[in-house]
Amino acid sequence: METVFINKLKPLLDAVAEQMALLLPKKTGEHYIYSRYDPSGEIPVEFNNIRPCTPIKEFLLPVCELAATSPEPLEPEDVKPFAIFGLKDCDLRSIEILDKVFADEEFRDPFYVKRRENMFIISSDCFEVGENCFCNLFGGRPFAQSGFDLNVSKVKDGFIIEAGSQKGRDFTEKHPQLFTETSGALLAERDENRSRTQRRLEQNNAEYQFDAPTKEIVEKSQDSEIFDVEARNCVECQACTRICPTCHCFYLYDTKQKDYFAKMKMWDSCMRVGYAAVAGGANPYKILGDRIKHRLLHKFVYFLDRYGKDMCVGCGRCVDGCAGEVDIRTVLKKLSEEFKDKEKAKVTK
Amino acid sequence: MSQNPYQPINGEIVDIIDESQTIKTFVIVPEEKFKFEAGQFVELTLPGEGEAPFTPSSSPADTEKIEITIMKAGRVTGLLHQCKKGQKVGIRGPYGNGYPIDDFVGKYIYIVAGGVGLAPMRSVFLTLLDRINDFKSVVCRLGARTPDNFIFKNTLFWSWQKIDGVEIKLTVDKADADWDGNVGVVTTICDKKDVDVKNAVAVICGPPIGMKYATLKLLGFGFDAENIYLSMEKNMSCGIGKCGHCMIGKYYVCKDGPVFTYEQIKQYPDIWD
Ligand code: SF4
Ligand code: SF4
Ligand code: FES
Repeated sequence: METVFINKLKPLLDAVAEQMALLLPKKTGEHYIYSRYDPSGEIPVEFNNIRPCTPIKEFLLPVCELAATSPEPLEPEDVKPFAIFGLKDCDLRSIEILDKVFADEEFRDPFYVKRRENMFIISSDCFEVGENCFCNLFGGRPFAQSGFDLNVSKVKDGFIIEAGSQKGRDFTEKHPQLFTETSGALLAERDENRSRTQRRLEQNNAEYQFDAPTKEIVEKSQDSEIFDVEARNCVECQACTRICPTCHCFYLYDTKQKDYFAKMKMWDSCMRVGYAAVAGGANPYKILGDRIKHRLLHKFVYFLDRYGKDMCVGCGRCVDGCAGEVDIRTVLKKLSEEFKDKEKAKVTK
Repeated sequence: MSQNPYQPINGEIVDIIDESQTIKTFVIVPEEKFKFEAGQFVELTLPGEGEAPFTPSSSPADTEKIEITIMKAGRVTGLLHQCKKGQKVGIRGPYGNGYPIDDFVGKYIYIVAGGVGLAPMRSVFLTLLDRINDFKSVVCRLGARTPDNFIFKNTLFWSWQKIDGVEIKLTVDKADADWDGNVGVVTTICDKKDVDVKNAVAVICGPPIGMKYATLKLLGFGFDAENIYLSMEKNMSCGIGKCGHCMIGKYYVCKDGPVFTYEQIKQYPDIWD
């Protein structure tokens, strides 16, 4: 582990911004939203204690982008290096999930891959716990585990910077004047902070401990009525899937431009009624409860079966964003309880 | 080759054949040679209008042109039906897996298809014909709504039936005055004694409900689930396992299918919906 120390964030960010465009979270109302860093310093630099509201997928898979053209074909353009500051562990893990889909060996999405390769990731420790954060239930920590170039940990008198990749090491080595050495005491302080946040996270989610692996719970709950009951609280706004950093469904559509034809790629949502409809009219997910069920099956069963990971990082954004009253944790907990009762009934039978 | 998987290659519709009132075959010449295996699908773009997945109906041996037989069913297929010769189109693919024809060697091949499901079956059939002596025999049970609704009428009714090693039976839901064949859904012309089920593979294609009943019937004959091949239809968009539209359980129909054995997917409840 290579760590260095810095008193203030601004010189670090300035040094990054000298090399490439830098995005960082800015407090907007109650939430953090990414905006372009302005080195002239009008806006004070702020350390985001929790994850931003914006899912990181926005920078890798734009809401809508040009995917192909005709008659002249489209080749993906080169992407200039850019940096993003303030990602949390859940964000890093969401990138890992997207990589599995979009950077797979057989068919790489070159638009995604170019952005991904040119993204310089500066993560940071969570210093607080969001009201709806539950990453600890899905293998997350309130501090970065892997997948970052640099990680920033807030301590009383400044920030500990850790390089997590060759790109990150190159950066710290190129800017020795910015940093001083870390000490054992500083690292101990960092560890203490981390355990404190971890404990708080566990306290917050104590009531959501599940009675079996979520895969088993969801897989064996397919005839449960809970999905239809939950559907009554859902207004079908699709916010949950749009704001989710791991949801990545999209569709392609064609348009006419003045002197060429364009194929566009746009985010889609499995909560949309026509999502799975085929041309002949068949639609396996006409019923809202079935769409909610499919969303959970995809996240906790199918994705796990295929890629060896849950497709949920427990960031709680879908809970924050829901216009109805659906809380994915509560749904899982209800399913878990029903599942437990069913299993018990089996034993006594 | 483009490194952009969303980029179609340009092509042109050089001929259009009316198969029935709602079904046409489009003969397409792509600008580059286009190779596929029977059962794989392509994404066909009508520039500026839309894109839809189809399994070609022509022989994979012909790499100069592709035939796609299309039923008017939705917006894009409706627009395609209005197209004239000379229309420019785009083609992406081929995607997914084809039928494992090499594994069929030495066996009876039992083809059960209905409606526009005959289209991909023609591609399979032509592939089998090229090496017909490799198989015990090819037994086809084909259905359509009315005699007029049968596609590939010219070849289907006459020349194919005379080929050694091929046996074909047809049925319609509703006969007309000239029809002297069977009336009823396709399962009514399937018989346990049609093939030796222990040494046979079944290839089923058609509307979901038809595939469901054909599958159940064949299981009843004693077919093993792993010897029943189904060509699944989902609303594929990307074709490359990314967009999420085509899932059956953990499978992407576009990448792991569209051909599945019943064994692979029988555990998922909504495959026929
Ligand atoms: S499902 Fe909800 S909690 Fe899980 S990753 Fe998506 S937004 Fe976060
Ligand atoms: S955010 Fe809530 S209300 Fe909106 S679609 Fe999702 S579950 Fe339904
Ligand atoms: S069609 Fe997009 S994932 Fe299969």
